[in-house]
Amino acid sequence: MYIYLPIAEVSMHIGIIIGLGGGVGFLSGLFGVGGGFLMTPLLIFFGIPPAVAVSTEANQIVASSVSGVLAHMRRGNVDFKMGGILMLGGVIGSSLGVVLFSFLRSIGQIDLVIKLSYVVFLGIIGALMLAESLRTIMRSRKPGGTRGKLHQHNWLHGLPFKMRFRRSKLYISAILPLAIGAFVGVLAAIMGVGGGFIMVPAMIYLLGMPTSVVVGTSLFQIIFVTANVTLLQSIQTQTVDFVLAGLLLFGAVIGAQFGSRASSVLRGEQLRGLLALLVLAVCVKIGYDLVVRPEDLLSVELLK
Amino acid sequence: MSRQNSVMIMLGLWLMLAVVPASAAPQRLVADLSQNNVEITSSYHGTELLLFGAFEGSDGDDVVLLVSGPQIRLAQRRSDKVAGIWVNVETNIWENAPSFYHVFSTRPLAEIATPDTLRAARIGARSLPLEFTRQGGAQNGHEQSAKATTANAATIASADMIGGLIRNMQDMGLWAEKTAAVTLQRNMLFRATLDLPKNVPPGNYEVRVVHFRDGDVLSEEMTGMKIKKAGLSALIYNFAHDYSAFYGLFAIVFAVCSGWLAAVAFRRK
Repeated sequence: MYIYLPIAEVSMHIGIIIGLGGGVGFLSGLFGVGGGFLMTPLLIFFGIPPAVAVSTEANQIVASSVSGVLAHMRRGNVDFKMGGILMLGGVIGSSLGVVLFSFLRSIGQIDLVIKLSYVVFLGIIGALMLAESLRTIMRSRKPGGTRGKLHQHNWLHGLPFKMRFRRSKLYISAILPLAIGAFVGVLAAIMGVGGGFIMVPAMIYLLGMPTSVVVGTSLFQIIFVTANVTLLQSIQTQTVDFVLAGLLLFGAVIGAQFGSRASSVLRGEQLRGLLALLVLAVCVKIGYDLVVRPEDLLSVELLK
Repeated sequence: MSRQNSVMIMLGLWLMLAVVPASAAPQRLVADLSQNNVEITSSYHGTELLLFGAFEGSDGDDVVLLVSGPQIRLAQRRSDKVAGIWVNVETNIWENAPSFYHVFSTRPLAEIATPDTLRAARIGARSLPLEFTRQGGAQNGHEQSAKATTANAATIASADMIGGLIRNMQDMGLWAEKTAAVTLQRNMLFRATLDLPKNVPPGNYEVRVVHFRDGDVLSEEMTGMKIKKAGLSALIYNFAHDYSAFYGLFAIVFAVCSGWLAAVAFRRK
C-alpha cells in the first residue's frame, strides 16, 4: 500500500517507511543512540528530498528523545542545570544552522555540506569509539587495570563564568557547555540528527561529566534542539512532513523494543565496537559517493 | 472504471462522426481526456489517463499531443572534481520551463515536420521558449545574465546543457517524448495513454492536439485539466503552508505526545 506524503510530495510504500523506522529503531534500541545519522541518509536514498529528510528527522527525534528521557528522569539521571545551558547553546546553534541550511540550499551546495559533515564527524567519532572499545576489550582480558581520575583538568576549566553543576559534580565555566551546545546545534540542524553521538563524547571528555547522567542530559537537550529545528524549518521552508515522521516513529517504537532486548545479550564494549563499525560504514559509503564520478555531471532542481 | 467510461465516450464520438457529414466545416478537431480533474489523495501512486478525440484525417496524417504542466524555474547544476571530490561548480537557471511536458506523436517528430515548423508550432522540448540565466560558478560569484530559448540558446547555453536539461527532466519522468504513442483509427479517432508519475507536479495543465498533413500544421485544438492535492494530503499541505508556525508547533506537540505514549507503553510491558 502506497501513501502520498503531502510535504515530501512523493508516494512511498507504507511498508518501506515503517520498515525503515523499525530497522533504525532496532539499532537505536540496541546501541542506545538516536539513529538520526542512519535515518536521514536512508530517507534521502529512498527519494525523499534532502531538505524534507533533515527537517522531518528532526521532528521524529523530538518524539524518540521524549520517550528516551522519561526513563532517565525516573532514575534521576538528568542534570537539568547542565541540560539547560547546553539547550540554550543548542537553540542558538540550531537557529544559526537552519539559516545556514537555507543559504547553502539556495547556492546549491547543501548536499555537499551534508555529505561532508557526515564524512568528517562520523569518521572522527567512529574511529574514536572503535579505538576505545578495542582498548577496553584488550584491557578486560588483562586483569588488574588501573582506574584513572574522574576527569582531567585542562585550560578549558580556567574560563570565567564558573557555575556549580551539582548533579554532574562539576564546578566549571558555563561558556564551555554553551559553546558545545551551540556547535552540536549547528550540526544537528544541517545533518538532520539529534547530535547525541557528538554530544555524549563531548560531555564525557570535554566537560568531564559522570557517565551516568550523560545520556539522559543529552536526550533532554536534544528534545529542545530538534523541536527548535522542527519549528524553524516549518516556518522557513515548510519541509517538515509529520505524516512521514509519524510512520517512521511507529516503526521505531516497535523496533526499539526488540533492540533494547537484544542489547542485553552483548557486552557494553562489544556493543560500542559494533556501533563504531556501523558509524564508519555510513561514513565510508557517503565518502565513496563524494569521490566517485557521478553518472550524470548535470542535475536539475525544480525551484517553483 | 475511468477506462470503461472513456471507451463509452469514444464510442459516442465515433457515432457522432458517422452521422455528421465530414465536409461541413474545414478540419474539425475535438480532444478530451478521460479525467479533467485528477486528485492527489493520500493513496495516490501515479495514474493513467486516456487522451482521445476525433479529427478529419486522411492517410499519412500525423497527430501530436502535448501535455504541459505549470511553469516553474529550474536550477541546472554542473558538477566537477574539486580537490578530489565532486562539487557543484556552476548553476544555471532556466525560466518558464514546464514542470511537466509529455509529447505523444504518431511518428518520431523529425519525420513529421522540419525543425523550423516544429519550432513555430512550439512542439518538442527543443522548441520550448525557456529563458536561460547563467549564474556563474561558485568561484566568480557574480551573476552573468542572458536570455535564450532552448531553440536558439546555442550561443549562450551549450548544446550539452540543453541536452542535459532534457535528459535530467526525462530521468525524473517529468518530461517525455513518446513516438508511436498516438493510435489512429480509420483517420477519424486518435488516442494516447498518459501516465502521470507519482511525483506529478500539481497545477493547471494544458493539453494541445496538433494535426499535421504533409509536414504542415492543419489544425490544432486545446483543452485543459487540473491536478490538485485533495483530501487529507491537501489539508496537511495547506496547513503547513498557510499556518506554518502553527503547523510546526503541532508537529512538536504531536511528537512529544507520541514519544510519551511510546514510553508509557514500554513501561507496561
